[in-house]
Amino acid sequence: MAALNTDRKQLEQLINGDKPVLVDFWAPWCGYCRRIAPVFDKIAEQYKDVLEAVKINVDQDEGMSDQLGIEIIPTLVLFRKGKVVASVTNPPSKAAIDSFIAENMA
Amino acid sequence: MTKVYDMLIIGGGPGGYTAALYAARAGLTVAVLEKLSAGGQMALTTQIDNYPGFEDGVDGFELAAKMQAQAERFGAVTEYAEVYEADLAAEPKAVKTSEGDFYGRTVVIATGASPRELGLAEEQSLIGRGVAYCAACDGMFYKGKTVVVVGGGNSAAADALLLSRVAEKVIVVHRRDTLRATKIYHQPLMNAENVEFCWNSTVEKILHGDKVSGVVVKNVNSGEEKQIDCDGVFVSIGRKPATELVKSQLQLDGSGYIVADESTRTNIGGVFAVGDVRTKMLRQVVTAVSDGAAAAHMAEEYLAENR
Repeated sequence: MAALNTDRKQLEQLINGDKPVLVDFWAPWCGYCRRIAPVFDKIAEQYKDVLEAVKINVDQDEGMSDQLGIEIIPTLVLFRKGKVVASVTNPPSKAAIDSFIAENMA
Repeated sequence: MTKVYDMLIIGGGPGGYTAALYAARAGLTVAVLEKLSAGGQMALTTQIDNYPGFEDGVDGFELAAKMQAQAERFGAVTEYAEVYEADLAAEPKAVKTSEGDFYGRTVVIATGASPRELGLAEEQSLIGRGVAYCAACDGMFYKGKTVVVVGGGNSAAADALLLSRVAEKVIVVHRRDTLRATKIYHQPLMNAENVEFCWNSTVEKILHGDKVSGVVVKNVNSGEEKQIDCDGVFVSIGRKPATELVKSQLQLDGSGYIVADESTRTNIGGVFAVGDVRTKMLRQVVTAVSDGAAAAHMAEEYLAENR
């Protein structure tokens, strides 16, 4: 299961749901974003029972990333019940994303 | 029962995946342990023009994905695992990772190297947006612009010279009052009209909006800081091989590279070093893939002798 791209409207619905949501803010011109993509798909599959993993292309939805103060991508943001729980910028490995999730889902 | 692979490959760059391709095609069971995504340094190079067979150049990320798919077509598997520890002398060789323990009868170290960084906040995230580590790769993006080159060694001098032919202005920031580069670089650089020097200075801060807009440099003698406006910062202060994992087990040279000749054999039987992590003359994608093929061949030989 690949992590799906979403837009601001869908995301706002999603983050107000029961399941925590992990959002990958990315852009097609961003090299580090591309490097994370295959692993983010793995994350989406591995954690599908406990969280939703989706992606936002900041070029197409700048309002959202501006509102969250995201200046650097890739940034992963974890939402729970409509609120930001934590974020991580440019994680260097799948293991780093795993520990980010472990620390913030507890 | 624990699965023991014929070959474990640490690192999924061009060297690693070529070893995987050759080994899988030779009928060996192969796992590639990659912490993020295929390609290594190459994955961040959007245009590779010196890999033969692609007359219009090729995107490094896409080339890496193709190398991965090609190796996997013959049965190699990829694990997105960060390696924490490796016992290379054990039988079988044991590797502890974020995704569990893996065992291999041979191990290929393909962990690569990375440019030494300035170590400044946001430096990493500005890569591709003004921060660069390879003038030959990214220089063309700065045609007619102003760039800062940090460093004073041979690679910094070569980068500054190359950039002087492309960029409008090049400012070399070096922490000493003279270049460490060999003499052949001095005169051409001094003669280049668009190259300036900022001696005895270190870069303290990278200024940016969406992209790099300048740097703050500090004079190491007076402590005085000043701002230099620029569109790009080329960091050329050396490279560091990723040998942390194996440094207590494998023989390294003075710069930290794994000592291995063209055969890629290291001082431990059944352990091979390929690509940028190995001592070699020229670190390129083509020389990395060449190492990968050699390692697979030597591993086959090792396995045949150690049945």
